[in-house]
Amino acid sequence: MNIVEAYVGEYASGKSENAVNRALELVEQGRRVTLVDLDLVEPFYTLRPLKKTLESKGVRVIAWETKETFGLGEAGYVLKPEMRWALRREGDIIFDVGYGIQGIKIFNLIEGLWENEDLKIYVVVNISRPMTSSVEDIITYLSSFKKVDGLINNSHLGEQTDLDIIQEGACIVGEVSRLTQIPVIASTMEKTFAALVGSESFMGFPVRYIERYMPQTFW
Amino acid sequence: MEKPIVEEKRVFMTGNEVVAWGAIAAQADIMYGYPITPQNEIMHYWTRLAPKYQKKFLQTEDELSAGFATIGGVIAGKKAFSATAGPGNTLFQEPVSMAEMMRIPMVVVIQQRGGPSTATVIYSQQEVNMTTYGGNGEGMRIVYSTASHQELFDCMIKAFNNAWKYRFPTFVLGDGYQAKMREPLVMYDPQDRGIELIEPEIIIGKEGVPGRDRDPVFLRNAYSMEEELYDVLMPTIEEYDRIAPEITEYHSFSCEDADLIIVAHGIVSRAAVAAVEDLRKEGVKVGVFRPVTLRPFPEEALREVAGITPNFLVVESSNGQMARLFKEALFGMEVKMDTIFKPGVGITSEEIVQQVKNIADSGIKTTIK
Amino acid sequence: MEATVMPRSWNLETKPHKFCPGCGHGLVLRALGEAIDELDIQDRSVFGCDIGCSLLAWDFFNLDSVQTHHGRTVPVVVGLVRANPNLIGIAYMGDGGGYAIGAQHLVNSANRNDKILVVLVNNTNYGMTGGQMAPTTLPDQVTETTPYGRNIMETGAPTQGAEMVTAITPEGAYVARGTVAKMNRLKKMFKRALLNVAEGNGFSFIEILSTCPTNWRTNARDTWKFLEEDMTKYFKVGELKVPPTLKEE
Repeated sequence: MNIVEAYVGEYASGKSENAVNRALELVEQGRRVTLVDLDLVEPFYTLRPLKKTLESKGVRVIAWETKETFGLGEAGYVLKPEMRWALRREGDIIFDVGYGIQGIKIFNLIEGLWENEDLKIYVVVNISRPMTSSVEDIITYLSSFKKVDGLINNSHLGEQTDLDIIQEGACIVGEVSRLTQIPVIASTMEKTFAALVGSESFMGFPVRYIERYMPQTFW
Repeated sequence: MEKPIVEEKRVFMTGNEVVAWGAIAAQADIMYGYPITPQNEIMHYWTRLAPKYQKKFLQTEDELSAGFATIGGVIAGKKAFSATAGPGNTLFQEPVSMAEMMRIPMVVVIQQRGGPSTATVIYSQQEVNMTTYGGNGEGMRIVYSTASHQELFDCMIKAFNNAWKYRFPTFVLGDGYQAKMREPLVMYDPQDRGIELIEPEIIIGKEGVPGRDRDPVFLRNAYSMEEELYDVLMPTIEEYDRIAPEITEYHSFSCEDADLIIVAHGIVSRAAVAAVEDLRKEGVKVGVFRPVTLRPFPEEALREVAGITPNFLVVESSNGQMARLFKEALFGMEVKMDTIFKPGVGITSEEIVQQVKNIADSGIKTTIK
Repeated sequence: MEATVMPRSWNLETKPHKFCPGCGHGLVLRALGEAIDELDIQDRSVFGCDIGCSLLAWDFFNLDSVQTHHGRTVPVVVGLVRANPNLIGIAYMGDGGGYAIGAQHLVNSANRNDKILVVLVNNTNYGMTGGQMAPTTLPDQVTETTPYGRNIMETGAPTQGAEMVTAITPEGAYVARGTVAKMNRLKKMFKRALLNVAEGNGFSFIEILSTCPTNWRTNARDTWKFLEEDMTKYFKVGELKVPPTLKEE
């Protein structure tokens, strides 16, 4: 069965980081993986600068190259035709989704996505983001999506991240999960926390250790 | 109304979001804006937050309109602001010059982009000339250049307070990198920290019938006679000069015993600080002087550090726009200046380290008198 | 009210005003002042004026007033009323300010149906800068920049501004073209336009055919003839758009 996953979330929630790490994880398992940069909102932190690195690791990447994006930001974001037909590709498909105020309608741009039974939509939550910082805020936020298959606690403060913020995030996201019945797929954290956490689960949720690629991706 | 920031909180945001939240914290009432990259998310976040905190927004037909409508909002007695970049900043110079003449407080956030012309939407420090001295006047405005998201938030509060306290238009000068990068900061309600927020006052549309209950208010920026204009301008210029020391801000880092001081503002100063940290480990005595206000420029403080060492390295992502302010501030002193000017391009700490080493090898090249 | 020679809303201290003898601005401002008096809205009205001869009105009324830049009165007044919707904002300008340098503001404000009154005085030339061609200059009319007469093949035909505003405003807007030759009618237009704004229905726009003997270099008789015969050939006087709320007269 093919894996089709979409990672969505606020600016700086960590959706791209999660998508990249997930794609690499699947490649390591020997699977064929295509990573699609479907961020129509934010022309800055995107997968473009990472394209070559990821491709060298075996991930197929559908993203613009910066030099191809004439007038980027002035002309608006231009959808790459391959993105529309991404689901026609063989293997697993991971979407990195910046969706904007139009919400999940962005999926209308991908041929066959809504009909795809394998599709899982995961919302990446960072409680350091003002509009997703409390249980109530996150539930309001989730109500803007038609379908959510799982939550990911990716609470962090960039380089100032400590275990406290991850823990607080896990508590809040856990409570959201209890109230909404949407499962928590994972709590994510950098590999440096592995020694502190020391196991495959953290506060009852599976841990996904991630490597931070996105700081290299400015523009 | 729900209090926007209930308690001090560490958050992780992009710079444009910080501006929107900073404006909320400063109790801004209304934003007038026109889309231009890289400031768009300021409007996006402001409009998202607006209904929750009873704020208003108008998307105008261009930046001229955004600037003049901001003036309209201010004279109606509201804390009004706008944000723009590049060619939008060019158009803003017209309304800002009217605000300078009529002593109208207004806050404008500039997220600098590459120039001249449309150029890139990404990054530069090429709007220093225009933001400090643009318009057909004397540059009677306050300009903050921020280096971190925390400072961006703090300066939004200061900008509104100083604009309304001193009644000069006030800019917060960021750039495309600051607009888009993400880092943690602490958001706070300024009043909880004992910072008094200056209340706006109604200038046009006060209570009562003008001419019956009170005198009408007549605001103008046109004058008939040279002498008439001079009599209006000189007190304003004198007042600007008098209050300048109260507004001026700078940071100096490791300058006390420096043999060379790097001068940089905004985001570039972070590379300079990182370079100094590296160089100090190797025993090279360097420091950083960073003007936080580019208008008024911290002249006295700079002249003081020039007493420590006459050797300077001026670093900026423009072709000497800040260096011009630097040279003017040091007029009459004998100092040496080397430069890294990269218009429209970011500067890394490694480049600065390398340049400092080159200078050490070859001696400082330019002498200013 | 008949006992007062000047409208109550005028500021007596700044009279006599500084417009040229025979200039239509004084008449326009008189009709506007009387309309403000009769609607009793002096406490809510604020006045913005442009550059050009209209700026001489900066201290004309007993109204809070702001003189702006050339073409920028509409955005200032829009900014004012967006911040304080209780105000009745009046933006006063010439044909150059409204149809040339500030055209984008007029167009967009009209299209947004901003609750303001725009008063545009059409005297077919740029008066204060010395009588250059304006968007409204008539075909073959001699001005300082059309010394051999306006060639409409090269410079276009006189702007049909009120018709343009009519076409782009949504329902609720009031659009009229008045003339200083018909003062009672002009006052009525002002009252209807101001009422439309005061009641929050929509954008109100009045273009007024006016006189500029100084730059036309005309005596009284020829001034009136140019206004009544030549200008009205191109600019039709009357109400162009009336919101349903105002239909009853």
